Amino acid sequence: MDTQVLYNIFHQDAFGFNIAMYIYLTGVSAGSFILSTLAYGFGLSQYKPLGKVGVVAATIVLIIAPLFLLLHVGMPYRAWHLFIYLNLASPITWGSFLLILYPINCIIYGYFMFKENMKLTRIFALIGIPLAVSVHGYTGFILAFGKARALWNTALMPILFLVSAVISGIALMILIFIIKERFFSKDKRVDRELVFSLGKLLAWMILFDLFLVACDLIVLSISHSDAQAAAHLLLRGKFSFLFLIVENLLGKIVPFILLAVPRLRTLATTIVASILVVVGIFFMRYIVIVAGEFIPLL
Amino acid sequence: MSNKKKRYAMLVDLRKCIGCNACAVACKSENDVPLGVWRSWVKKVEKGHYPDSKEFFLPIVCNNCAKPICVTVCPVNASIKRPDGIVYIDPHRCIGCRYCMASCPYGVRYINPRKKIAEKCYWCHHRVDAGLKPACVLVCPTGAIMFGDLNDPRSDIAKAIAKNAVQVIKPDMGTGPQTFYIGLEQGTVEAKKMKEE
Repeated sequence: MDTQVLYNIFHQDAFGFNIAMYIYLTGVSAGSFILSTLAYGFGLSQYKPLGKVGVVAATIVLIIAPLFLLLHVGMPYRAWHLFIYLNLASPITWGSFLLILYPINCIIYGYFMFKENMKLTRIFALIGIPLAVSVHGYTGFILAFGKARALWNTALMPILFLVSAVISGIALMILIFIIKERFFSKDKRVDRELVFSLGKLLAWMILFDLFLVACDLIVLSISHSDAQAAAHLLLRGKFSFLFLIVENLLGKIVPFILLAVPRLRTLATTIVASILVVVGIFFMRYIVIVAGEFIPLL
Repeated sequence: MSNKKKRYAMLVDLRKCIGCNACAVACKSENDVPLGVWRSWVKKVEKGHYPDSKEFFLPIVCNNCAKPICVTVCPVNASIKRPDGIVYIDPHRCIGCRYCMASCPYGVRYINPRKKIAEKCYWCHHRVDAGLKPACVLVCPTGAIMFGDLNDPRSDIAKAIAKNAVQVIKPDMGTGPQTFYIGLEQGTVEAKKMKEE
């Protein structure tokens, strides 16, 4: 039976651009940090040139990220309430402590790295990895706790966010590394071997991310009615262009082809692929936030 | 009876609702709700096509859930569930992070455009504590809305809920809504498509 709404009230969206930006930046930060620990935490010495760039990028980005939260909340000068009135069931309470501990750890880790104290660098790298994973993973729980929004309420959300965080972190590191080597190093030469090995890592992570997105969509499209509506919104509805073309084709499939096919592998294509990934992952955050809230609740 | 634990609930008899919006207006007036946002409103749907059609009304207030997700997710404990079941927001504690709005399955919360904090219907607890009925219950011209203590078996609402088939909105959310409806048409909740003029 055809039932049409004559009158209803829709309140403003809860989350929007600021939260998408915040989640994007914590993701970039966590990804960069994990890359920087490859050499200093796990002893993969070919990634050593990334250590210092990675930790500087991770720290700066993570100091910028909470500013978007302060822009988002209605009462920013009440932010200290987060540390006084604790609700341990709330992911935001977890996050408010992670957002303090993680940058402090980044600064200590970076300090010892610049002081060439390898033993302490390694210890703080190993402490930092669970912190980096949590500081981004908890944002996945924030959305997953929104139980009325089919697009958010999935256990896949934290892992999906972590994988896309690693992707955006690697892509940003490739760009920063190339700029640093090309313009700010002594011999002005880019270490192609390192860039291409990062490119290959990026390609495989993109493939894993595409697999997770496919899992999510397949289950959404045959699950309960709200989930079907969410899948329809992404595949055929208002967000289909952004989701299919911008996020997945330009942001993942094209970079994957550019990075994975050996004949296409040059410095220029790696730069293009990295830029596409960095932009594409931002759209991924934006689509998850905005499309998740797009379907009215009542 | 007074020292026994209370458990407040609301019951809307949709067979009596005429869609007059008196509840929404009284709520606005009583609670000083700013322009553009509503603590209670009446969703209206049309089932079928004219002349073989009928309008259905659904007065919406906060469900003051038994297991409120807004209380679970509030990072500063500003959303509080009282022992009598009313869920309210401490206006001095709320930081306006909107997480409760994102997690509420009923979309009844809004950000007060002036105070920048989250607000919602709390069954007029300032009136209830003074022994009065909530504003929407008081003004309803057909007496469709009922409010009272479920733990008191002699209260009107306990009798009405015991004797009628009642429904809640989105029981599958596991939030235990405490606003009950008699004669709820399923399509009223599920309809999302706006009628085109």
